[in-house]
Amino acid sequence: MNAVAPTLWQRNPVLAWREIDGEAVIISPGESVMHELNGTGSFVWELLDGRHTPAQIAALLSAEYEVSSETALRDTESLLQELASLRLILQAGVNAGLAGVPADR
Amino acid sequence: MMDRLIARTVRQRRPLSVHIDLTYRCNERCVHCYLDHRDYGELTTPEILGVLEDLAAAGTLFLTFSGGEIFLRPDLFEILGAARRLHFDVSLKTNALLVTAERAARLRELGVRRVQISIYSDDPAIHDAVTKVRGSLERSLAAIPLLQAQGLHVKIACPLMTENLSSFRGVLALAERLGVAYIFDMTITPMIDGDASTLAHRASGTQLLPILRDPVLRSCRPQPGDAPPLPSGVGSAVSSGIESDAYDDLPCSAGHNSCYVSPYGDVYACVQLPVSAGNLRRECFAEIWSGAPALERVRAIRESQLPVCSACSIRKYCERCPGLAFMEGGDLLGAYERACELAEQNARIAGVPNPVSALHAQQGTERRPVPAEMPLDAMVTI
Repeated sequence: MNAVAPTLWQRNPVLAWREIDGEAVIISPGESVMHELNGTGSFVWELLDGRHTPAQIAALLSAEYEVSSETALRDTESLLQELASLRLILQAGVNAGLAGVPADR
Repeated sequence: MMDRLIARTVRQRRPLSVHIDLTYRCNERCVHCYLDHRDYGELTTPEILGVLEDLAAAGTLFLTFSGGEIFLRPDLFEILGAARRLHFDVSLKTNALLVTAERAARLRELGVRRVQISIYSDDPAIHDAVTKVRGSLERSLAAIPLLQAQGLHVKIACPLMTENLSSFRGVLALAERLGVAYIFDMTITPMIDGDASTLAHRASGTQLLPILRDPVLRSCRPQPGDAPPLPSGVGSAVSSGIESDAYDDLPCSAGHNSCYVSPYGDVYACVQLPVSAGNLRRECFAEIWSGAPALERVRAIRESQLPVCSACSIRKYCERCPGLAFMEGGDLLGAYERACELAEQNARIAGVPNPVSALHAQQGTERRPVPAEMPLDAMVTI
């Protein structure tokens, strides 16, 4: 049986965002809507670079915040689902529809 | 959420919002403009990119690029690309004469969120007389659908002066027809070098009364007693500070969580307070921001401690600006005639009987009667 490759997520490159006092403030230009992530959400946000799998992010979250790996994975997947539904993150390698946008750092 | 962000950034003294004028050069020659359009040595592309890196590190999120006319900078898109890579929320202020469909598409690609365009009238004769460029209204308006087609948020900014007061309703209708936001700005300032000749274009409080009383503008603002008691469709089209109730006893965002950078690298608390706190060619942004005396003087201002204004009975109707207080009266803490005049008009509209500002009370100035041939009710419409 072939293992399914985990989805890799990256921040939507069109977003404006800044981590302020440990909390990420995110603005989507089309809707002019502001979103704010708490400390753990911001920790995950920083890792959404298209290279970390959800499991890897959860492992780092578990180590950083001393929560069980099950809790960390559940919370990470829940957050990713929410961020994806808001189009704040995109599947890595999938065209964001923004030709010419410089690569995310 | 925004109020919380403002409160946090003020407390931490983070420059959340920065306004950068990329050039003072311009392809219009507006009669009221406060700038000297000659180029005395603008920041180079690498210098600007370095400033953007410093601002990102300092925690800036909101970035406004303005001028002069920004599209006269051949490196504009390179600068916007750098701003995108650094995740800034970017707004532009322009006359839009040089906006094309290709450029509008490029702005979207680079994540620009808002574009503010200066429009002085819906009448080409009036608009073009202000800009001194024939055909400028037609060209500026032609840019709006190009930008909208790219999903950019467009706002019309209309500084009001004696030349275009009669266009107020026309500009409102124009904004509605185009489906864009608008802001009317009653502030006409002395030139940045102190030359007061631009003030000849300033409309008096009485002339502005119909606009202050306008039902459309008043319908989108809270009633006096609520804060802020000023119309949301009226404000500064020049400053890029963030207006909010979260500043409490502070006069505004200037120097607390916002500042201004000139094309020559000078850092001011605000574009309307042209006192340099330092120059980015000699010092890095963090050094200037963290403790320049010019910024500390602004940061020390508390509304409740202003020598004259703190005791003013119509204070809540006033748009006092420390920068304008300095430019017009030479005192950051002082009262100045223009603010008092407009505060009295706002208070009168709100039903305050015989409003007199603290400054006028000190001067023994009696309320100037409204001329009999111009009763208030007759001045609601132009």
